[in-house]
Amino acid sequence: MIAASLPQRFKVDFDPNSQIFSLAGTIRPRSIDEIAESIQALREAIDTVRGVLYIDVKRLIQMNNTAFQAFIRVALDACRERSDLRLIVVTSSVVSWTTRMFRHLSTIEPQISVEVYDSMFYPGQDYFEDTSFIPILRAQTKLTWRHERTILPRHGMRPGIAVADICCGIGDFAVLAQKEFQPSRIVALDHSKPSLAYARKVAAEFGVTGIEYTYGDASEMLLEDNQFDFVSCRHSLQVFNQPELLLKELYRIVKPGGRVYITNEKNSHCLGEPRAQSIQWTYNELARLLTNFEIDVEFGPKSRRYLTDTGFDDILVESFMVTNLDGDPQDFADIIAGWEKMFADMAVRNGEAPEFIERFRQGFRDHIFAALHPKGYAGWPIWAASGRKPL
Amino acid sequence: MGASVNKTTETAFEPLLQFDMEMEDFLSDWHHCDHVSTYLARMISHNRTDPVRHSNFFSSALNELLEVSFRGGTTDGKIGLAIYRQGATERVQLSFPCPPGQARFYREAVSKTRESDAQARYLDAISNDLAPSRESVLLDLAVNYDARLRLDEDAAPAITLIVDLPLEGMVS
Repeated sequence: MIAASLPQRFKVDFDPNSQIFSLAGTIRPRSIDEIAESIQALREAIDTVRGVLYIDVKRLIQMNNTAFQAFIRVALDACRERSDLRLIVVTSSVVSWTTRMFRHLSTIEPQISVEVYDSMFYPGQDYFEDTSFIPILRAQTKLTWRHERTILPRHGMRPGIAVADICCGIGDFAVLAQKEFQPSRIVALDHSKPSLAYARKVAAEFGVTGIEYTYGDASEMLLEDNQFDFVSCRHSLQVFNQPELLLKELYRIVKPGGRVYITNEKNSHCLGEPRAQSIQWTYNELARLLTNFEIDVEFGPKSRRYLTDTGFDDILVESFMVTNLDGDPQDFADIIAGWEKMFADMAVRNGEAPEFIERFRQGFRDHIFAALHPKGYAGWPIWAASGRKPL
Repeated sequence: MGASVNKTTETAFEPLLQFDMEMEDFLSDWHHCDHVSTYLARMISHNRTDPVRHSNFFSSALNELLEVSFRGGTTDGKIGLAIYRQGATERVQLSFPCPPGQARFYREAVSKTRESDAQARYLDAISNDLAPSRESVLLDLAVNYDARLRLDEDAAPAITLIVDLPLEGMVS
């Protein structure tokens, strides 16, 4: 593997094993001479591969015509010299200009095709971004906010700062944070267009302005380095199959001295009385089931390790329990009912036996029973953690 | 072509910001193109539906225009940049002094962006040229950004490129 760091926040990388040549960052040279090393790297990559070379420009933030034409010159010449060569350019649906510029290559040269990366960002995405899940997400934020509004200042949230909420989902946390803490700027990013459309609609209906909702891949964001005082990423590292990639991006965009705040669950610690045993069984099985979807709902207590490994210091970790006593117990029950439906669907998808699924569902129903019981208690534990980017 | 600005249309555009700089200072550092386009794009995009992506897209187009003025401009006078908005479209008015005789070049280059074979010309340019010409950069704006370009020569020897960029609809 070769890698070269060039001026103008630009990186070129070639992985011969996967035959992927990638361009990332911003490249706006005055002349081709400034990027001669990268042009040569593409030539060498082409010489190395057999069959297909992928040219990955998903993380290309800016490229001027000087650079564009220099790189495509190499690609076009190579196709004219080698009939066995196929080039597949992979652009991102997030970066509008890349697809529009690179699409012409397949018109000019039949050996080149252009693919837009707009598929799953993580394995369980279709479940969590089903629009029928939106009421559950709203209820979850409603209950967690009762705790987080007092927790957040301990982790660096304060008025007048620049905030980013990454994996913002339907955007309700951003609205609450803006209302409570009045940041100077708040960007809310998610990779679900329906969720963002919902977020913008709700914001408009409630007259909330100033939240910059943006479509993007949290592991490859368009946001620039060192921009935010406070970056939140709630309930997302646990559903993302490569949390270290996401954390690296959160680290990149937060300012030195700023903090990244994450919340995650440990679902096997969900509890309830009465019917504790049934509830316990189901949530243990849930944690096991979701590993098949590369989802780690036991992530919460691992937060300290992940934050440390990413390079953060001054790490704070605390936990809180959302319960049926946080306001209307029916809200809690509604969340569990939503979970029952979604996770039972996933169990079916995973090929679990009908007897298992029935017992699995029963645990959720018993959790609801506990939540609504006049003397019952039902809980959902969450770990809130943050780390500071060193100065 | 040398079309003057249509005053009726002009009044419908709301001014967003204006930026002036001595051309000599502008030409002193190539990175001014990158810095100015990035900064101004962020400023004017803050209230677009997707500010981050709009800013990225707008910066890409604006940088190309600034690079055209950098490569073709002279040190006498100022570079002036004004950005307006009408609905989903931003209008960029970029004025800069250029050598005598260059106005004709820009007139013809801008004219070609509005002809039916603009895309074919663009594809031919990127297929065969080693480096982009100012003409192919303007074609790029027309083809890849759906830009509509005009030229104003009222303040000769300076020229003004007037570029309408309907990026909001393309981003959202």
